[in-house]
Amino acid sequence: MRQLWVMTTSDLRQRIRDKSVIIFSLIVPLALMFVFNLVFGGTDEIELEPVTVAVSAPADDEVAGTLVEAITGTGVIDVTVEQMSAGTARTAVADGEVNLAMIVPDGFGQDVLSGTGGALEFVEGDTSGLETGVVIVVSQSVLDAYAAGTVAATAGGGLGLNPEELGRVAQEAATAGPTIDTVAGQTSDEQLGPGASLVAGQAGLFLTFTVGFGVLGLIAERQEGTLARLQSMPMRPGLIVLAKALTGFILGVVATSVLLTLGGLFFDVSFGPLALVGLLILSVVTAITSLTFIVVRLARTAEQAGIIQSILAMVLGISGGAFFPVSASGALARVLDLNPIAAFTRGLGITSGGGGLADLAAPIAIMLGFAVVMLVVARLIPDRGVSR
Amino acid sequence: MLEVEAVVRRFGDLTAVDGISFEIAPGETYGLLGPNGAGKTTTISMIAGLLAADSGAVRVLGEQMGPSRVAGKRHIGLVPQDLAIYPELKGRENMNFFGRLQGLGGKELATRVDEVLDLVGLTDRAGDPAKEYSGGMKRRLNIGIGLLHRPTLLILDEPTVGVDPQSRNAILESVEALSGEGMAVLYTTHYMEEAERLCDRIGIVDSGQLQAEGTRDELIRLIGGLDRVRLDGSGDLAAAADALGGLAAVEQVDADRTGLSLAVRDAPTAVAELVTRATAAGVTLADVEITRPNLEQVFLHLTGKALRD
Repeated sequence: MRQLWVMTTSDLRQRIRDKSVIIFSLIVPLALMFVFNLVFGGTDEIELEPVTVAVSAPADDEVAGTLVEAITGTGVIDVTVEQMSAGTARTAVADGEVNLAMIVPDGFGQDVLSGTGGALEFVEGDTSGLETGVVIVVSQSVLDAYAAGTVAATAGGGLGLNPEELGRVAQEAATAGPTIDTVAGQTSDEQLGPGASLVAGQAGLFLTFTVGFGVLGLIAERQEGTLARLQSMPMRPGLIVLAKALTGFILGVVATSVLLTLGGLFFDVSFGPLALVGLLILSVVTAITSLTFIVVRLARTAEQAGIIQSILAMVLGISGGAFFPVSASGALARVLDLNPIAAFTRGLGITSGGGGLADLAAPIAIMLGFAVVMLVVARLIPDRGVSR
Repeated sequence: MLEVEAVVRRFGDLTAVDGISFEIAPGETYGLLGPNGAGKTTTISMIAGLLAADSGAVRVLGEQMGPSRVAGKRHIGLVPQDLAIYPELKGRENMNFFGRLQGLGGKELATRVDEVLDLVGLTDRAGDPAKEYSGGMKRRLNIGIGLLHRPTLLILDEPTVGVDPQSRNAILESVEALSGEGMAVLYTTHYMEEAERLCDRIGIVDSGQLQAEGTRDELIRLIGGLDRVRLDGSGDLAAAADALGGLAAVEQVDADRTGLSLAVRDAPTAVAELVTRATAAGVTLADVEITRPNLEQVFLHLTGKALRD
């Protein structure tokens, strides 16, 4: 045990001194979290700018009045309406004085109410954008409601209702509120929010590189000659591999803990109870460390190891949702579920949603099962690095 | 001390070491010479317990050697050909690290590290990271680490490769001193003069087999090598050639316009008689030169290759 600890502490000291572990395990993932957050993170917090809409409509057009009320009363966008003639409205849009022109032709309201259709003209200019698009969509929904009323009235006529009753039906159909409500609810238990997903995914992705500083160091030592000296020391050769694995494991646990903590602070994310998050971290680090035993068997040189490690990191990271959520169905979904990084992210979703230890059984079983399988496979693969 | 018995090691279809046997006695320096790919490093790897032999046996002080054999490894100090040091660690930290793995600790370790740093001339630079050392200093640190636990068998695998002449001489002097203290040394090198200077006995390896073994003189005798003596001078060279040709030690003598060339057994012993006879025959000598057959010629004879091929 003393020799194991001597090798592990010496490895840790060297990794910290050469600073590469700090750069690749902490600085780069944190920087990427910020970059991705800037690129993808702002879409749910869009602020709509005020717009000015030039409206040209007959003064007594009931439908036009309803449209103006609708677009000025959305509550999500500040709309100023300026009444003007059709020609002036078009010029105002072209000159950039207003963002949008809505031109209601004579008799439009009558046509809509009678169910014979009608054409409402919108004119967008250089200053148009998302806001004017919202105004157009709101207007369209109002007209759709009128169309529904017209359909109802037509149906009523077919059933022999008198004109008064038909008018009442049409009015109710056009102005009735929605009968189906949509309610903004909480994120489901196994789904992290965008910020939390980003932090968890990046932590998982870079974990693959971090633990590589342990076992994969064996290949560098083999190339540099220090492995031969270590193997000549009076200790069992397995201790050398164990020390490297322990180094990678410690680095992985520390780096992932730091990334989740800092990422949580920077992006205002909570992953849940520390003990459960700690358990997930230990499990995912165990899983990814086991993978390095296969890499060390396959690679002859440190360069080869780096390439294999990068490929594995990208495959596991991307399929685990490190950059964006990945969804699949059928057999592919089941395969993706076995990805330890995906299981880690899923586990964090459970803990952040208030789940307990029992709820974590599946993701933890996946991560530890992955570790067992990788270790068995590593034992079966011939060591390509052994040479004369 | 070291017994290597008919060891064989194969890598797939290639037999890298094919039945090599030799022994090293305490205080003896044994040179293992061979061209690249001859099987030297594989042999050393089996002796140091890095590789298991497919057949045969290696014993150090009676302890069987092998990757999982811990006891025997306590007796050996391996100085690999590559610089087996950690560049990020300071010189003293490198020694402390390997010293602890050898089982040293506390005051004993601190004392021993100071002694070895002094021995290899690195006391003043012990606090600097090894990556800041010159090539020669790294080599000395590499050797020092192998000495920390006072091994009874020191294995030096080409320890002077890439070293400046001054550091090289210091390394050779250290090896001579260690041998003088009773340490057995297994030494591989590409430099024939190092083998001739350091080694009590030499084994020549080629194609995974020990082609010949013995002291320098025994190896030279093995190929029937005669010393060459050149007597430069003037006078009656033909008469001198007749006179010298009758001596028992002289196998062949040729006269030319500037002197005599002779093939002689044991020239250092015979040279006085040669000079006396030539002078008596009327030759005025200007210069005498002895050329003895060296290991390079032995090596070439046995393997058909130059040592550095």
